[in-house]
Amino acid sequence: MVFLNRIWCGLILIALLYGMITGNIQSINDVIVAVGEETFEFALPLMMATCFWNGIMNIARDVGILRAMERLIHPLLRRLLPDLQHQPEALQYISANVIINMFGLGFAATPSGLKAMKLMQEKNPQKDTATRSMVTFLVLNTAGVTILATNIVTLRNQFQAVNPTDFLPWAVIATTCASAAGLLLDRWCNYRKP
Amino acid sequence: MCVLGVFLKALLGHFNAYESFTSGAKEGLGLFADIFPSLLAMMLAVSLLRETGLLLLLGETLKPIFKGIPAEIFALSLFRPISGGASLAVMIDIFKTSGVDSLAGKMASVIQGSTDTTFYVITLYFSTVGITRIRNSLWIGLFADFVGISMGIILVALFMV
Repeated sequence: MVFLNRIWCGLILIALLYGMITGNIQSINDVIVAVGEETFEFALPLMMATCFWNGIMNIARDVGILRAMERLIHPLLRRLLPDLQHQPEALQYISANVIINMFGLGFAATPSGLKAMKLMQEKNPQKDTATRSMVTFLVLNTAGVTILATNIVTLRNQFQAVNPTDFLPWAVIATTCASAAGLLLDRWCNYRKP
Repeated sequence: MCVLGVFLKALLGHFNAYESFTSGAKEGLGLFADIFPSLLAMMLAVSLLRETGLLLLLGETLKPIFKGIPAEIFALSLFRPISGGASLAVMIDIFKTSGVDSLAGKMASVIQGSTDTTFYVITLYFSTVGITRIRNSLWIGLFADFVGISMGIILVALFMV
């Protein structure tokens, strides 16, 4: 990610320069000394919550609850991705990916997402160009509906929010709008009959 | 509720839930190792921006143009599609400075919870299978992010104040 590298270095350089010009060297030192421990302080509860929810999700997968949820969204996905009619396996990985994303465990969803991409790539006639199914899948993935943003609930709890989960309904509405907007634009751009 | 359902199903179906849970939790430890370095890197950048006063300066400049939207939210919205670590760092910063139950804190929670890191997802997924021509996927993803973030700001401003 060259792009990210530039942004990161740029931001730090600008901040350092600004601090030096305004004579604020002390606060720069404070940050450098404290940032490691500070990050760890937030990261620790996040890690614990990640382990916990990943554990729960693993049980849900093993007892077949995840599979049942996947079946629930299957008809919708089949309609969204008509080109994958003869690739049921890819479709299955995509439903797993979407379901795990719903619980805010994006990183845990990545393996199934990558498998779906590889399966779609096998049937891709132009190996360097994305198929329209891939585009739709990535729109589903990046703008996908998140029902339970577990890591944000954890952080809000750590900062002693009055109600750590009160934002969830609004987040669900916002994310649903984002998905709908993305999918509609995708339909309009990539699936119109010529 | 859904946690209860998971355990009930495990008990009734004679599944080894204990084993599933511990192996899943173990996986969680590994996932964390992937995230901590990038979070640390971004916390450094964001903390420097705040402590040197640059974030404040940006806020003061933008304030007259966008009334009612806290300035930190712009930084968050800008980072959200680019880096998950950076937007998480900005959100933590907002929780710390403005408070978790402030307007900015609520907006940050909704925005952070409503979209994903578009640039990261697209780069990772396409590069894994060797695709270089990504068609319009980036633009559609960014459009969806824009809609999600705007909706987040509007909903919180209308209903959560």
